[in-house]
Amino acid sequence: MTDHLSPAMLNALVDGELTADQLAGANEHLAGCAHCTSVALHQSLLKSATAKAGQRYTPPPQLQERLARLASQEDSRGQAAGGRPTPAFASWSMGRRGTLGWAAAAVLLLASVSMIFVQRATQRAETASAEHAALVTEVFDQHVATLAANMTPQVVSTDRHTVKPWFQGKIPFSFNLPQGLPNDTTLDGANLTYLRDQPVAQLLYSIGKHRVSVFLRQKSGAAEANETAAERSGFHVTGFRTKDLEVVAVSDVDPARLAELVSSIKHAQTGDQK
Amino acid sequence: MRLPWKRQVRNAGPQTSRFEDLALPLLPSLYNVAFWLSRNATDVEDLVQETFLKALRGFESFEPGSNFKAWIFRILRNTYLTSRAGLAARRTVALEDELSESSESGPAQYPEAAIDRQTPETNLFQLADRAALQAAMEALPPPLLEVILLCDVEEMKYREIATTLEIPIGTVMSRIARARVALRAALENQYKPQRGFSA
Repeated sequence: MTDHLSPAMLNALVDGELTADQLAGANEHLAGCAHCTSVALHQSLLKSATAKAGQRYTPPPQLQERLARLASQEDSRGQAAGGRPTPAFASWSMGRRGTLGWAAAAVLLLASVSMIFVQRATQRAETASAEHAALVTEVFDQHVATLAANMTPQVVSTDRHTVKPWFQGKIPFSFNLPQGLPNDTTLDGANLTYLRDQPVAQLLYSIGKHRVSVFLRQKSGAAEANETAAERSGFHVTGFRTKDLEVVAVSDVDPARLAELVSSIKHAQTGDQK
Repeated sequence: MRLPWKRQVRNAGPQTSRFEDLALPLLPSLYNVAFWLSRNATDVEDLVQETFLKALRGFESFEPGSNFKAWIFRILRNTYLTSRAGLAARRTVALEDELSESSESGPAQYPEAAIDRQTPETNLFQLADRAALQAAMEALPPPLLEVILLCDVEEMKYREIATTLEIPIGTVMSRIARARVALRAALENQYKPQRGFSA
């Protein structure tokens, strides 16, 4: 027999790639050809020996564990997301199954919440800053107007027990006046005035020859700063906030002395009298 | 046209869509083939690890129930080709292919005379020497080694190999033929001295 099976046919035979017709033809040829039968047998032996020899390397347990963890984490993530695993990257050093997914979700949640808080805080700060600037302008104008008109206070008294009751029924809040005042500081009286369309108690003090206006109003919700400090045309503006009150003082007196008065008023509101 | 890896996996058993269930059983095979190709314990871990990551990343696009093995082996092969070891091998292979790829479209050169010289006992003795065969495999050029690993060790069909290696089926067949010829030649060369001494 001269027409032996081609090398491709012999390889396809041992590799199981022949169609039914090709296999039938090859078997028919092998039945009468010792040479091709020998080659086919050798090819078959070589294939099985190569298959055994080729299975040479096994993955180390650490790699198997690491990849198993990764795969299970991704599957957990995919199931938690309601579908197949998402193409998220994972750290190789993660701990228990599912931890990465929950940690990532927690981080995302925290980041989102933080961003909302930051945005809201920024908005609040901007609003408070604008309101504070408007308040400073208004108290400054009121104080200058009081000085310019040289008007007599609506209630003239150095006695805190006279001034405070005078406001009863005039303002929707109450306040305390300090029992003791810093040196060279006196209470001259008070006015009922308005700041930003709200009734405000304007306390009038003198520190030496310097006049001081202290405005007390019900605290609004927008402002955030606990302490108020500003300067305008040589006048100093300072203040504080309590749970219910917003207090702003304005004067051209030395800031330190103004601060002493403001501090004493502050302590009167908190009950911490000096 | 459906891609070959979309075909049903042979003996796949119950179908699952979990990456873990599909990929982990293939880890020994992936590691083994990767080690044969890269021949470096450090490189092979990186190679398999990166293959897993790429497969995870692309698992969304994998059609459940299709041929996952061909799909992930293709990822392994492409990852290998872009690795340091793969790039070095490609430089070597390019020259080798240039010299002999022209024969791939036609029948492989068959050393039938060599086969005829050997007795069945000699064949069995050579093939039973696992170390000798492994040495012969190590000496194969990477294109021939990878095709013989996928065909004989991983028992892939020619079409799956063609898809995995991104080459025509004709090239798969010719490379398998050339690989087997080279293995036989290497084994024969290893045994020549003994045969000569004992004769």
